[in-house]
Amino acid sequence: MNGRPLDFGAFSFRLVMGLLGLAAVTLLIMPTLVVVIVSFTNSFSLRFPPPGYSLRWYAALGDAWQLQFAAWNSFTVALWTTVLAIILGVAASLGIARSPKWTAKVLDSVFMSPLVLPALAYGLAALMLFSLVGWSISPVTLIIGHTVVCVPYVIRTTVAALAQLDTVLLESSASLGASRFYTFRRITLPLIRPGILAGAFIAFMSSFDNVPVSLFLRDARTDMLPIRMWQDLEGKLDVTIAAVSGAMIALTIVALVVMERLTGLSRRIR
Amino acid sequence: MWEARTVSGQALILNGITHRYGGSLAVDNVTLDIKGGEMVALLGPSGCGKTTLLRIIAGFIRQSEGAVMVGGNAIDALPPHQRNIGIVFQNYALFPHMSVAENIAYGLAARGETRAAQQNRVREMLDLVKLTPMADRYPRQLSGGQQQRIALARALAMRPSILLLDEPFAALDKNLRLDMQIEIKSIQRLAGTTTIIVTHDQEEALSMADRVAVLSQGKLEQFAPATEVYDAPSSFFVNTFVGASNVLDGVVRGVDGGQAQVRLGDGSDLSAPLPPGIQQNARVKICIRPEHLMFSEGAGDLDGTVALGMPLGSSVVHEVRLGDGTAVKVAGPRDAGAAPLAMGTRVSLRPTHATSVRLYPA
Ligand SMILES: Nc1ncnc2c1ncn2[C@@H]1O[C@H](COP(=O)(O)OP(=O)(O)O)[C@@H](O)[C@H]1O
Ligand SMILES: [Mg+2]
Repeated sequence: MNGRPLDFGAFSFRLVMGLLGLAAVTLLIMPTLVVVIVSFTNSFSLRFPPPGYSLRWYAALGDAWQLQFAAWNSFTVALWTTVLAIILGVAASLGIARSPKWTAKVLDSVFMSPLVLPALAYGLAALMLFSLVGWSISPVTLIIGHTVVCVPYVIRTTVAALAQLDTVLLESSASLGASRFYTFRRITLPLIRPGILAGAFIAFMSSFDNVPVSLFLRDARTDMLPIRMWQDLEGKLDVTIAAVSGAMIALTIVALVVMERLTGLSRRIR
Repeated sequence: MWEARTVSGQALILNGITHRYGGSLAVDNVTLDIKGGEMVALLGPSGCGKTTLLRIIAGFIRQSEGAVMVGGNAIDALPPHQRNIGIVFQNYALFPHMSVAENIAYGLAARGETRAAQQNRVREMLDLVKLTPMADRYPRQLSGGQQQRIALARALAMRPSILLLDEPFAALDKNLRLDMQIEIKSIQRLAGTTTIIVTHDQEEALSMADRVAVLSQGKLEQFAPATEVYDAPSSFFVNTFVGASNVLDGVVRGVDGGQAQVRLGDGSDLSAPLPPGIQQNARVKICIRPEHLMFSEGAGDLDGTVALGMPLGSSVVHEVRLGDGTAVKVAGPRDAGAAPLAMGTRVSLRPTHATSVRLYPA
C-alpha cells in the first residue's frame, strides 16, 4: 500500500509530459516528413501520399537556375551576415562580460531586443532609415539588416561561454607574463570558441531562411531563396520546391550533427 | 638540472600597504621587509586580508596606499604581466585546453622564447617536480597533487623574482598535504626563489616558513622567525592563534622589578614576566601553553581536579578544573605503560618556567 499516492503522482506527471512531448514532436516532425516524402513523388502534384516515387524533382533542381541563383544569394548573404555577427557579437559580449552588473544588464537587453521586436517592423524601419540617409537598397543593406537580427544569437551563446570562463585563468596568464592580447588569443578565445561557433551556426541558419527583413531590404536583382520558394509555390504549386525543402532539411541535419560534435550545440542554446 | 643563475631571489619590501574595498578596510598599514630567497608565511584567520595582500603584490589590485618594492625598485606602476611574479592559485588554475608541457611552456611562449628554449625548460621543470611522464597529459587527467606540482612548475619556469602561493594545500587531503609541503619546501630551497605562502593553518606556516607574518583584521601583529612567533608571541591574538593556549583572567596584585604577581579568579597567585605598559591593579589576560604546565609533586600554584585524561600516543593531555570552575589543559610526555590520571584526582599545577606565563592587557 505504501507509496501508492506518490507513484500515482509521478505516473500522471510522466503521462502528461509524455503526451505534450509527443504532440510537440508530432507537430514538428510530421510536416517535415510529409514534405520529404512528397519530394520523392513521380507526379506533378504536391498530393500526399504520392502515387509513386522517383528522384525526378531532385534531378530537376539541376536545371532550376532561378532557384540556384536565389540559393547562392541566400548563402552569400548568410555567410557575410555570420562573419559580421561573429565580429560584432564577440566584441559586444566581451564588453558585456567586463561591465559592472547593471551596465551589463542594460547592454544585454539592448543587444537582445532584435529577437523580440517584430522583424517586419524592423525591416520597414530599416528601409525608411536607409532611404532617409540616401543609401539605395543593395546586397549591402540586406546584409546589414540580416546582421542586426542575427547578432543576438552570437551574443547569447558567447556571453554564456564567457560567464563559464574562470577569471583566475586570465590572472594566471597575466602573472606568467602574457599581455592582454596574448591572453585573449591563447586562453579566452580557445575556451569560448565552441560558444561562438554555436551562436554563429544559429545566426547563419536564421539569416538563410529569413523572410521579413529580406522582403524590405533586398533589391530586385537579389532574389532570396525563401522568398523565391514562396513565389514559386504561390504561382505554380511547383513540386521542385518540395525537393528544395528536402535538400535543405538534409543539409541542416548534417550541419547539426557536425556542430554538435564540434561545439556541443544542444548544451549551449538552452 | 637546475641552473645556478636562478639561485638569487629578490628582496621584497611592502611599505605601509593599506587597502580599502569601497569603504571597508581589508589591509591596514602593513610593512614587511622580506630578504631575497626567504620563505615567508602570511598567517591569519579567514578574512584577515591575506589574499588581498597577495593580489596587491601580484598587481591584480592596486593598493589604496603604500608601495611594493622588488629588488629595490617600486613596481606599483607595472601591470601584472610585467612584474615577473609567479603565483600558484588555490585551485591551481591550469589551462584546461593545454597539455602539461604547454602549460609549463606558456610563460616562455608569451615572452617569445624559441621552441628549443621552451622545450629545454619544460624538461627541466618536469624533472624538478618529478612528473616527466605526464608531459602530454591534460590537467583533468591529473590528481590534485600532480596538478599542484604542475602549477608550481609553470610558475617557476619563467624564473620569477618572487613566488606567491595562496593557500596551496587547502584542497589536498592530509597525507598528501604533508608530502607536498616537504616537496615544495625543498624545491623552493633549490630554486632559491623568494616565496610568500598564504595560509590560515598555523602548523603549515610554522613548519614551512623561515619567518611568519601574523595578520589579524588587516593589521600585522607580528613578523618573526617561526620559533619566536610560537615562543614569544607579541600579542594576545598571536598567542592564542598560533598554537594552543590556556587563557585565564587575572589582576596584577604586585610588581617587583621585572616580575608581576597576578591574582587569578580562584584566588591563587601566579608569577609572570611583566610586559611594558601594564600597571599595578590592571586587569590582564594570562596565557599558558598546555605543555608549559606540569603536575607539581608538592604544593603548586594552581589547585584543581582532573576532569579528563587523554593519551595521545607519545604525549598525554589532561583537562583540569580549577577551584572557580575554569578548565585548563596540561600536556606532557607519556611514559611507556602509564595511564592518564583518573577523573576526580586532586592535583596541583605549576608552570614549567617563570617565563612561560604571559600577560596581556585585558
Ligand atoms: N573584491 C572584494 N570586494 C569587497 N570586499 C572584499 C573583496 N575581497 C575581499 N574582501 C574583503 O576584504 C577582507 C579580506 O579578504 P581576503 O584578503 O580575501 O582575506 P583572506 O584571504 O585572509 O581570507 C574580507 O573582509 C573580505 O570580505
Ligand atoms: Mg584568501
